Amino acid sequence: MITDPHEEGRGPADSQGSAAGCPFGFSRRRLIASAAAAGGTGVIGAVAGFGIGRGRAAEAPASPRRDLTGANGPVLEPFYGTHQAGVETPAQAYAHFLALRLRPGTKAAEAVRWLRLLTADAAALTQGTAPLADSEPELARDPARLTVTFGFGRRLVAFAGKDRVPDWLGPLEKFRIDDLETKLCEGDLLLQICGDDPLTLAHARRMLFKDSRAFAELAWQRDGFRRSYGSEGEGQTQRNLFGQLDGTANPGPGSEDFARIIWGQGTGRADARFSARGEPPTDLGAHLPDWMRGGTTLVLRDIAMNLETWDEADRPGREFSVGRTLDTGAPLSGGDEFDPPDFTAVDARGLTKISAASHVARARDGLGPEVQIHRRTFNYETGAGEESGLLFASFQADIDRQFLPIQRRLAEVDLLNTWTTPIGSTVWAIPPGIEEGEYIGQSLFEG
Amino acid sequence: MRKNITLAAAVPLALIIGLAGCGQSQSQAQESATTESATADANSEVDAAALSLDDAWVKAADDGMTAVFGTLKNNTDKDITLVEAKYPDADMVQLHETVEDDSGATTMREKKGGVAIPAGQSVTFEPGGDHIMLMGLKKPIKAGEEISVELVTADDQSVDVTAVAKEYSGAKENYSPEEAEGNADDESADEGDMSHDDMDHDDMDHEDMGHEDMDHGDH
Repeated sequence: MITDPHEEGRGPADSQGSAAGCPFGFSRRRLIASAAAAGGTGVIGAVAGFGIGRGRAAEAPASPRRDLTGANGPVLEPFYGTHQAGVETPAQAYAHFLALRLRPGTKAAEAVRWLRLLTADAAALTQGTAPLADSEPELARDPARLTVTFGFGRRLVAFAGKDRVPDWLGPLEKFRIDDLETKLCEGDLLLQICGDDPLTLAHARRMLFKDSRAFAELAWQRDGFRRSYGSEGEGQTQRNLFGQLDGTANPGPGSEDFARIIWGQGTGRADARFSARGEPPTDLGAHLPDWMRGGTTLVLRDIAMNLETWDEADRPGREFSVGRTLDTGAPLSGGDEFDPPDFTAVDARGLTKISAASHVARARDGLGPEVQIHRRTFNYETGAGEESGLLFASFQADIDRQFLPIQRRLAEVDLLNTWTTPIGSTVWAIPPGIEEGEYIGQSLFEG
Repeated sequence: MRKNITLAAAVPLALIIGLAGCGQSQSQAQESATTESATADANSEVDAAALSLDDAWVKAADDGMTAVFGTLKNNTDKDITLVEAKYPDADMVQLHETVEDDSGATTMREKKGGVAIPAGQSVTFEPGGDHIMLMGLKKPIKAGEEISVELVTADDQSVDVTAVAKEYSGAKENYSPEEAEGNADDESADEGDMSHDDMDHDDMDHEDMGHEDMDHGDH
């Protein structure tokens, strides 16, 4: 049951006025409430509330719009559903990534107890309710689209039986560009905690951490950010610290592309439309073990970005290296951000407008429609002149068929590598969503 | 010897068990004859039990003492008084209240006479307030474990409730420190100066009583 904890007490002028004032003619909170009434699955909530701009990848994005519906604090992302929230959910403003390492000697039964505790915490916190033993329950009140996404590492999955561990669940092959720090490549359980309110997020993180300490210790943590909620319209592509639009090629939430590329199965809808990349196959999730049906995979790359040397690059050089303009993100071959790049277009001198060594060319030229991912990225900067980078969370149904072909090409040649260095790399199984009364991972441990 | 019967309800199975050699009145049996479960798992949402402990949790502890919290709910139209709680893996279980002494420090003590829950009302067991005290743990209560505690009412009814263990650093109020005999397993040094000036507590007219005194379990 998903209800808005703050719905009561809002004046009619607010809820009705917002519907009238909203260019799309609906109230955001009402949409969420109705999505809950309709069944409350993660997909419904994500699609109904936030799929506007990028609902279909082939369409133009929404233009920026003001939020006329009131405070963002009470807005909920569903916790229960076919899929875990925090994957298809349009990215929130902030993210904490916590990788936890099981304490030596931990038993399988203890791991299950841990997952039960964390599930109960996440189910409550994301819905604006204080979990049991929350000593600051007031901080749970405004979830502001809080989501908690669980990722399982090899060791945690092995508790259910070594034969249940998929081959791909482990370190990626070594790439030439990598300069990995051992610590940033560890962890048995990942918690991706996202939300639009940093105070809520800090509290959620503390609750989840307090309920983890008996079972695990922190391997590493990264805190990431994007634009604050409301700074720009929904559906806008985020910018990274290089100033580049980051994620233009993502499939839109709720689209057939997304279902096939990330969840690994088609929806069966007849009117499916696909991006300019073409129609992805419907079998990308076929290799996933049964306990992962409704789940997906996550490759989390911690990519350091050298802002000092980037400063030395002038604008033409920067755009040349990416193959896109910096302001609109349009391909250097012309058009707007979402127009497909024309890798054959040439300038007056007969040179291709998009360099074959540019990031966009390396990432997609000649690659089939199955070689797509969903990048849910967050920037990080630990202080002035300190570490800067990008938490590159790449979701895809099949790492071998989708992620690795791109990564191998980028590692081979990509002008952007001049300024970027992968320093952390982890691979996670994202278990499916659950129903009320279940715990995350139940399909693994009891399936 | 107290003869307890099942208060949680109702299902025929529960009645069969409960009625064996006990004095449960017919009216109570009917009154609570609505639950669907004979497991007496009163964890949170089983409203069908006449008495339930919703959102029940227990502070995880390796040994010594700890406490159970939650919302004690009277789901009937008659007043209920909780007079005893039982937990087999503790030497002693008491119903406690936390009160402020003359110096403003809070102390917990046994709530003599029990906890009255008016018809249809709830009483909250929480750190810094009333709670069920488990003393002399015979085995650890580990985070994430569920324990079962039997609640006994003034009219000899009983109900089993389930509480999940959570790690928690609070709930360290002194237990009559001036009479404390100490507990070798406890780090009592950091607990002697806990005070809560803004504490709300029920003004129950129970006399403090002589009892074995221990600090709340620390671990």
